[in-house]
This record gives sequence, structure tokens and C-alpha cells, in this order.
Amino acid sequence: MQHKSIKVTGLVVTAIYAAFIIWVYATEPRTFREVANSASVAAGSYQVDQEKFNAALALFRQEQFRAAREQWQQADPAQSDARTQFYLAYAFYREGWGRVYYDRDLFKQGLDKVNHAIELAPQGPLTVDDPNLQMHSAAELKAELEQGTERGWSDLNPLKVLRTRK
Amino acid sequence: MAQMVLLTDNRSRNRALVSFIVLPMLFLTVALLGGLRVNTQDHAFIFIAPPLITLVLAVLLILLFARGRLIELQTWVSSSYTPLTNIGHSWMLLTLFFASAQAFNSALPERGLLHWLFSFFFLWTLWNNQFSSFDARRLLRSLAALFGTAFVLKHLLLASLYAQEGGWLQRVAGALLQGVSLGTLDAPAFAPATGYISFFTLVLYIGGLLMITFSTHEDLMKPEITQIAPVTHRDQDRSQTV
Repeated sequence: MQHKSIKVTGLVVTAIYAAFIIWVYATEPRTFREVANSASVAAGSYQVDQEKFNAALALFRQEQFRAAREQWQQADPAQSDARTQFYLAYAFYREGWGRVYYDRDLFKQGLDKVNHAIELAPQGPLTVDDPNLQMHSAAELKAELEQGTERGWSDLNPLKVLRTRK
Repeated sequence: MAQMVLLTDNRSRNRALVSFIVLPMLFLTVALLGGLRVNTQDHAFIFIAPPLITLVLAVLLILLFARGRLIELQTWVSSSYTPLTNIGHSWMLLTLFFASAQAFNSALPERGLLHWLFSFFFLWTLWNNQFSSFDARRLLRSLAALFGTAFVLKHLLLASLYAQEGGWLQRVAGALLQGVSLGTLDAPAFAPATGYISFFTLVLYIGGLLMITFSTHEDLMKPEITQIAPVTHRDQDRSQTV
């Protein structure tokens, strides 16, 4: 009986350990902190640092997009919050937007972020109710960023200078 | 008599602990650490999944274990054991397989011509050994030498050649080697911690194999018989009081 308990305990403990190893190789955390963050995401106890999130939002509204992005990255170190990733993408959009030209590198980074946000959205389309934004859904933002990264004859249209930033 | 029963009971419990908890945990730790490298610049972890060649090498090594009687399959998995025992032992063998693959992963250079050279030498050695006569101890000694040599070559010799903080002589030697080989001997540089992790991994792996040798060459399944002993002893006492 005692041996049976040793066998069962051994199997259960080592199976959990094996699952942890597979998870580590699948997620490839870069630091011990990332291991802890990923573990809390997997356990469902992960939360964004609200203080840093609000600080980032204030910077975003003051058009300090780089500083805002830094704050948001610190607020969501595991990059697992759809809303924060949406704002990060929006910050890339606003910084990359220009009346005469778009910064394609920033738009591409924004596109990556918005795609990630869409993947993270738990149920259906991702929308953010922020009256200071003109695009509330991730789909709208994605379309805008995609248009900005594409090259075409419309780039030569002089009337483009009349467009407005969203 | 009672002392004998106690001794055999302790021995059987320890064997169960080794076979079902210690060995799988040890081999899983090897599987975890075998692919771990530490980046030079930011000291971030890099996890390298076992390349296909390491799985092939691990299969050859397991065959060699069976040939050298380091693993006697019939003492680990048999129709006379309980299903739980068979599952536990099969699981242990599976962890040994992945630990073997990761031990190779730890000792092999990550890319370039050196990766293939090392792989070829491992393959050649293991293939040749399939046809030579081995016993468990000799096999273990040969494996320790094989992994030791690969470790010294990769983590001491090559790492010092490609080290960014090395002296000018080292850098010249590294550049010459790169030039002569037309860049095919390129190897990624990792932080010194990688060498320590690899050393610890290989020591754990060889330690695990040593433990298997000791546990296999005593009869593994004796404990199931000794469990009956205390019951008969108690029965004897009961019959005396009656």
C-alpha cells in the first residue's frame, strides 16, 4: 500500500513537472520574472498594473507616445492584456501618422500589436470605450494600420494632406 | 528475523522512491536544463528545443543501454508486474530518453559546421559501440568520457575562441579559424553561465545513469515479496496468543 502511494505520488508529481517543462519550452520565457508572469497568466491570476496603465494613458493624451508605450509595457509585462496591447498599437499609429507621409516602421509595429490584441481578446471583437479615441474597435485600427503600410498610386494624391488623424 | 524484515522493507521503499520519484525528477531536470542557454548581452534565457539529430542519437544510446545491460528491459517492464509499476517504469524510461536527447543538445554546438562535426562523431561512436561487447560499468565509463570530451571542446575550447571579452590572441585565433573555414565554424557566443548549466546537466545525467546501474543490478522486484513478511510475522504472534 505504501509503495502504491509512492508510485502514484511519483507519477503525479513527475507528470506535473514534465508539463511545466513542455510549457517552458513552448513559451520560452527570457527571465525568472517572465516565468512568474506567464505562470500567473496560465493560472488566470494575472492583472495589469493599473497605476502604470493610468500613467501611460495620461502620457498618451499629452501626445508623449514613446513614454506612454514604455509605461504600458511595464504595466503589462506578460503582454497578455488585450486592452493594453490595443492602446500600444494606437500609440504606434498616432506617432507614425503624418499629414504628408506615414512612418511605415511604426505602423508595422502597431500592426503586430493590434494583431496580438485581437488574438488575446477573450470573446469576439475587441472594443475599447474611450471617448478620446476615434477608433474604438481593434478591427478599425488594424484596417487603418494596414492601409498605412501599403504602397500604391493613392500615395501620390495631393489631397491626402487634407486627411485627419483618428 | 524482524530486523531482516525491517531492512528489506526499507530497501524496497527506497528502491520505489528512486525508481518512481528520484530518477524521473532527475532526468526531467536534465531535459529542462539541457536546452537552456544564457544570452551574453542581456543574460536572458534562451531555450533550444532538441534538434532532430539529438533524438536519433538518443535512440542509439537507449539501444546501447539495452545492449550493455544498463537497462534490463525485462526487469523494468513485465507482464508479471502490476499495471501501475509498468506505467511508472515506462515513464522513467521515457524521461531517460528525453534526458539523453537533451544531454546531447547540451554538449552539441548550436549551429554551423561544428554542430554537424560533433553530431557525426557522436553518431559514429554510438554506431560503432553497437557492435562491441559492453558491460554496464564499461559503458558508463565510456559515456562519461564521451560527454566529458564534448563538454571540454564546446564549453572550454570553442567558448574561449569565440568569447567577446577574450584577449587579442584569442580573438586573432577565433578570426583565423573563421577565415580558414570560410565562416562555416561560426558558433553563437553565450554567457559563461551556460557552461556551468551544461556541466551541472551532464553531471546529473551521468549521476542518474549511475543510480540506474545500482538499482538494476539488484533485483528490482524483490520488494513485492517482502511486503508479505510483516503480515506472516503478525499472524505468528496472533497464533501464539491464541
